Amino acid sequence: MSRIRPDLSDEPAVRLDGVSLTYERTGEVLSEIDLILKQGSFTFLTGPSGAGKSSLLKLMYLAHGPTRGGIRLFGRQTYDLKRKQLAALRRRIGVVFQEFRLLNHLTAFENVALPLRVSGMKADSYQNEVIDLLRWVGLGERVDTPTPALSGGEQQRVAIARALINKPDLLIADEPTGNVDPEMGQKILRLFAELNKRVGTTILIATHDLDLIREFDAPVLRLSNGLLVRDVEFGGEA
Amino acid sequence: MMKRETPLLPISDAREAALFFVVGALCFLAALAALTTRGTYKAAEAWGAQIEGDITVVMRDTDRRTAEQAADRVTGLASVFEARILSREEVEALLEPSLGPGGMPDGLPVPILMVVQADTSVGDPAQSIEGVLDDLSIDGDVAGNAGYAENVRGALGVLRLVALSIVALLSATAVAVIAFATHAALLARRDIVDVLHLSGAEDRFIAGLFERRFWVLALQAGLGGSVAALMITALIVFTGSGSDGVEAQLLPRLSLDFWDIVILLVTPLMAGLAARIAARVTVLASLKDTL
Repeated sequence: MSRIRPDLSDEPAVRLDGVSLTYERTGEVLSEIDLILKQGSFTFLTGPSGAGKSSLLKLMYLAHGPTRGGIRLFGRQTYDLKRKQLAALRRRIGVVFQEFRLLNHLTAFENVALPLRVSGMKADSYQNEVIDLLRWVGLGERVDTPTPALSGGEQQRVAIARALINKPDLLIADEPTGNVDPEMGQKILRLFAELNKRVGTTILIATHDLDLIREFDAPVLRLSNGLLVRDVEFGGEA
Repeated sequence: MMKRETPLLPISDAREAALFFVVGALCFLAALAALTTRGTYKAAEAWGAQIEGDITVVMRDTDRRTAEQAADRVTGLASVFEARILSREEVEALLEPSLGPGGMPDGLPVPILMVVQADTSVGDPAQSIEGVLDDLSIDGDVAGNAGYAENVRGALGVLRLVALSIVALLSATAVAVIAFATHAALLARRDIVDVLHLSGAEDRFIAGLFERRFWVLALQAGLGGSVAALMITALIVFTGSGSDGVEAQLLPRLSLDFWDIVILLVTPLMAGLAARIAARVTVLASLKDTL
């Protein structure tokens, strides 16, 4: 698997310089965003609905490019990447989507294994790893269950396992606790915190659940009307 | 135990059934057109050779005995299979369309006709036949069909070209249909394609999924089309081969020899290959505008 790993280890995992994003239909949703996420950081992103949280995350996981400004991931400018390099960079990013984006014709196991499968690995080389991860998120008994037969919370956990299976350097989660009960929500965030602490994965979690955030000593960024505000009410610096 | 991998593109839906039918029908028509082209070619070759080999010698102011002598000597020429003098009844039959069914008047000066069948591939026997006539002091003309045969060959050449154009057109249509279907499938599966991209899949990996899907579909559809073409050809060969006469000679000579079977086997392979290339090119071109 080819990876883009610059030697600049001090480079931030994510760096946004004056990033703006304008949609044709809705106009400007992000305005002049400057942001640095250091490697190994654990950060929350909050803001009301429609503030642009998902749009900001999409820029970071390279779903599309900004209208203005520059994005650097792991020290690499992203605007001039060739498609092959883009794919290699995406393999370093795990994404938990708000709407899960699981493939409904696949089982829980196959959804989790997807990032490994697309990188050309054979099933027998990752089978145990995928099952272990599914056990870790509490789905050890649901390995071969078709996705539509899983509950919302179970699907959420499958999506989380899929985002983690590649051992990403950067994990971006968009409302990862939105479809689970508070207890499971706590468990998921603790799982992320543990991953950050043990492996050093850079983690950015977008959520509107302030009660959950309070329990973690982590910097919080707030988006309001497309503008980014650093909110230090709950934690340290990003 | 290793888990069996489910295809990343969901198994076929109604659209693919329609595509299967269209590709199968196009392959059927292409195979049939290719067989007909080959049949036309064979018919043109055989008919042209036969016409060129038929030579008529008109002998005037000579008696039948000298004419028979000439026929014997012509038969002895290297490239001649047979030479014979037409009987009076045969000449009357030839002239009947002009003179009516009442027969020829007794006093009518009718030339003696000699028909010669020769192998024109060995050489033109006209000069040798004229030499025989000169030796026997016969006033006569040698009427070959080379010019006529050339016209026939020209006309059949045009037919061959038309048939080949039909094959090319059908092939191009099949490729266009598959390219269109691939594009439609890509749009219909955009959600899956996006997830694959965001999971780190390269364009060629995604193109490979569509390539394999349409390769198999076109191969199966092409095989169906070929089998249908085989059945139709077999029907024509086994039920229509009994007819003879000029019509039968003019019609393409459908058969089921080695090369016809090759055509039938190659058609689905070509369809599969064309589908594969069309799918790859379409997907790679479309993905440039995506994530």
